[in-house]
Amino acid sequence: MGASSGPRRLSGMQKQVLALYRGFLRAARSKPAEERKQIESVVCSEFRKNSKQVDRKNFIYIEYLLRRGKKQLDQLKSPDTVGLSSLSVDSS
Amino acid sequence: MATGLIRRAISRVQVTSQAARLLVGRSHASDAKAQPVESKPNLKSFQIYRWNPDNPGKPELQEYKIDLKECGPMVLDALIKIKNEIDPSLTFRRSCREGICGSCAMNIDGCNGLACLTKISSDSESTITPLPHMFVIKDLVVDMTNFYNQYKSIEPWLKRKTPAPTPGKEIPQSKSDRAKLDGMYECILCACCSTSCPSYWWNPESYLGPAALLHANRWIMDSRDEYTQERLDAINDEFKLYRCHTILNCSRACPKGLNPGKHIQNIKRLELSS
Repeated sequence: MGASSGPRRLSGMQKQVLALYRGFLRAARSKPAEERKQIESVVCSEFRKNSKQVDRKNFIYIEYLLRRGKKQLDQLKSPDTVGLSSLSVDSS
Repeated sequence: MATGLIRRAISRVQVTSQAARLLVGRSHASDAKAQPVESKPNLKSFQIYRWNPDNPGKPELQEYKIDLKECGPMVLDALIKIKNEIDPSLTFRRSCREGICGSCAMNIDGCNGLACLTKISSDSESTITPLPHMFVIKDLVVDMTNFYNQYKSIEPWLKRKTPAPTPGKEIPQSKSDRAKLDGMYECILCACCSTSCPSYWWNPESYLGPAALLHANRWIMDSRDEYTQERLDAINDEFKLYRCHTILNCSRACPKGLNPGKHIQNIKRLELSS
């Protein structure tokens, strides 16, 4: 077969993306239960969409998304933030 | 971070008003004596850094031609004219248009400065890019959070151990003590100095940068502040202060004419004697 089973080597950028995702899920745990599901679904869908659409070599854009995500995570972590919702606009 | 990936995308977009009127005006020979003489448009091309996070690719320099006769004298006037008439998607920060808010700081023809205070040079071409070595959010807008956090870290407020001599009234300060703050309080936090410092380029997270150190000195030299020694100890660090190698690009770049290099030297002198 040739497929590599076992632990795959993740690049530094991939580790940062996963760490950000983990951070979001951890922040979601500290929020009330209904909001927690909403946060998890929004974050999960955004990360999945980006993982499919964004080219793996487009470092500038990935770094931009990481920076934006870190800022959003800091806002979410603050105890004043109760929840989050997302709105998608069709750019046509 | 993307300065190494600039590719020139020449897309010539002309301002048509003056040129079109010129052609129509000369069509009838009999009317020639009744027509006032139309002047030729003075075109200047601006190469402006563009990068859109919604359609991410490589950043590019896009060219815009502007008739300087129909535009104000400052670079900000040209940018606003381009945004109004040619390309509304051009994104940049601006607010006061008089050099006091510090929003429009950008790199014009290689030098950092405020777009509202920089006159359009009479060369045929100008290059406008965002502040160097800063993460770009979109076109000419950069991420200033690290810069602001460094300013916050020096605790830029008055700290006292003893209460004010007359409670409820201002803390008295002599004219000579107040004069010590001249040249430091005028800083508008535009980030032109910090982003012109090569030492800050290579260590943006650990080195505080000329702007934050200027403000640190402003609070150290304030006679009303009683935490002078603690302030000196807080920045007496190999990275926070001593990454400064007196390159003095900061004093050259400051659009308000301040001299951060001199004030950093003052801090170093005070550190020696404390």
